[in-house]
Amino acid sequence: MRQEDFVRRHQDEWLAFEAWLDGRAGRAREARRARRTWRGLPDADMPMQYRRLCQQLALARRRGYSPMVTGRLQDLMQRGHGELYRTPSPRWRRAAEFLIAGFPRLVRAERGCMLAAFVLFWVPAVAIFIAIVRQPELSSSLFDQSMLASFESMYDPDSPIRKLGRESDSDIAAFGGYIWNNISIGFKTFASGLLAGIGSVLVLVFNGIMIGGVAGHLQAVGHGDPFWRFVAGHSAPELTAVVIAGGAGLRLGLSLVAPGRQRRIDSLVEGGRRGALLCMGVLAMLVFAAFVEAFWSSIGWMPAWIKYSVGGALWCLIGAWLLLGGRNRVHEDAAP
Amino acid sequence: MLDTYREVVTPEGVSLHLSAAGPVPRALAWIIDFLIRAVVLLGMLMVLGLLGPSGAGYFAVVMFLVYWFYPVLFEAMWDGRTPGKRALGLRVIAGNGAPVGWMAVFARNLLRVVDMLPMGYAAGLACGLADPWGRRLGDLVAGTVVVHDTRPREPTAAPMHHVLAPSMALRPHEQVALVAFAERAPRLTEARQAELADLAEPLTGARGMLSVARLYGIANWLLGRR
Repeated sequence: MRQEDFVRRHQDEWLAFEAWLDGRAGRAREARRARRTWRGLPDADMPMQYRRLCQQLALARRRGYSPMVTGRLQDLMQRGHGELYRTPSPRWRRAAEFLIAGFPRLVRAERGCMLAAFVLFWVPAVAIFIAIVRQPELSSSLFDQSMLASFESMYDPDSPIRKLGRESDSDIAAFGGYIWNNISIGFKTFASGLLAGIGSVLVLVFNGIMIGGVAGHLQAVGHGDPFWRFVAGHSAPELTAVVIAGGAGLRLGLSLVAPGRQRRIDSLVEGGRRGALLCMGVLAMLVFAAFVEAFWSSIGWMPAWIKYSVGGALWCLIGAWLLLGGRNRVHEDAAP
Repeated sequence: MLDTYREVVTPEGVSLHLSAAGPVPRALAWIIDFLIRAVVLLGMLMVLGLLGPSGAGYFAVVMFLVYWFYPVLFEAMWDGRTPGKRALGLRVIAGNGAPVGWMAVFARNLLRVVDMLPMGYAAGLACGLADPWGRRLGDLVAGTVVVHDTRPREPTAAPMHHVLAPSMALRPHEQVALVAFAERAPRLTEARQAELADLAEPLTGARGMLSVARLYGIANWLLGRR
């Protein structure tokens, strides 16, 4: 068939399809409102029309029609393809479902990596803590003197009116700082896993040593009480989130190093998808931790037993959430 | 690496033609985005600076959002384009030609951390040069591609003067070239039209504007105008 006949015969279909794309594609709310007044191509016919268009494009290419025709058809096809195969937009309900059930399921599905991250973080932390409590002079080889002095002044038990754990800036300022610092560290812990997992290992071990070292030093010099009262509340969400981010990073590194039966690129894509999902949960946990740290942990006058019981309750809640969340639903993949 | 033009076969069995974007336009787009972000942050700094210490807190939250979520929000909600990408005519799409989803956008932007290593996106540049699609590490893991997003111009019909049967049998790709010439030539200068038509002298048996006119005639014949 000659090109001009071909165009003449199908022109109306293409125009109708184009009008549908211009009028109804992409803007779901508007499209719903206008569904009674829409007089063009019915929505239900769009997939069929799209497949006809694909066939016509293949014909046009096969017969060597001019680039003007194939180009136009390809443009229409590309827009239709985008409309048919787009990922659904996120919904609040699904986000909540993911946080409550999907995220703990995903964490449990990666239990090997999570366990490794847990060990990599906690073993150095506890070891350094015990070592410094036994031999306090070790801390000066870990930190320099000015850092030690600033730690000590932050948790000085002799100034009870001062807020715990930081200089006298406002809660909001501290909150912003925690959001920026801690979540950036969490994200970087995950992303650096792409370096064959080495980045995540380093970040985990380094953070373990730092946290264990600071705790050990303050305990050893007798500032333990304000320090533990400060960290009791937010330690559960924050440390768990860092371990999970590290576990996600290890998983990503593992899919690079040991893709198994998959192609390496497919394995990486899967690892990246799961890692990004885990990072969403880490983000939520760290935002929560920042709230607790800024507005609860710093309250100086609160009796120690309340702080410790709230901290203990948070540890139990988060443990139960991660171990039990989403257990009753077996049919669904963890992805939202 | 030299051929940046890629084909992706859709479920309908038709190939999509995509042209992968190289490091230079992507770097330019990044610089534009960087400047926009810097201006936004400076503006927020001036406004929030008036609030004292709590302003510093709000500013840190804004900085967090701008640093990590500026590209995520734009690419996910604006058809895979940040303002910088839009200015450079780039678009992020999924590897199968479909629009990108939230998870893929989130992953590719989280992994900028690795692409920036050891400094100045060196890892991303090396990876982009080695990959036939020009993807950086974040793109590989997220399964996304950055492509040139060209909107086709309005198709113009070839000018209709006369119809001329070609003097020899033409092969399909030659027919395509002739029709494409007839459709595009009206936008060129006469000198350029004549220069191009001279190449077809064996077919038209003429040079200059006469050759151009004969090519139009042959194109009309090929288009089925009798």
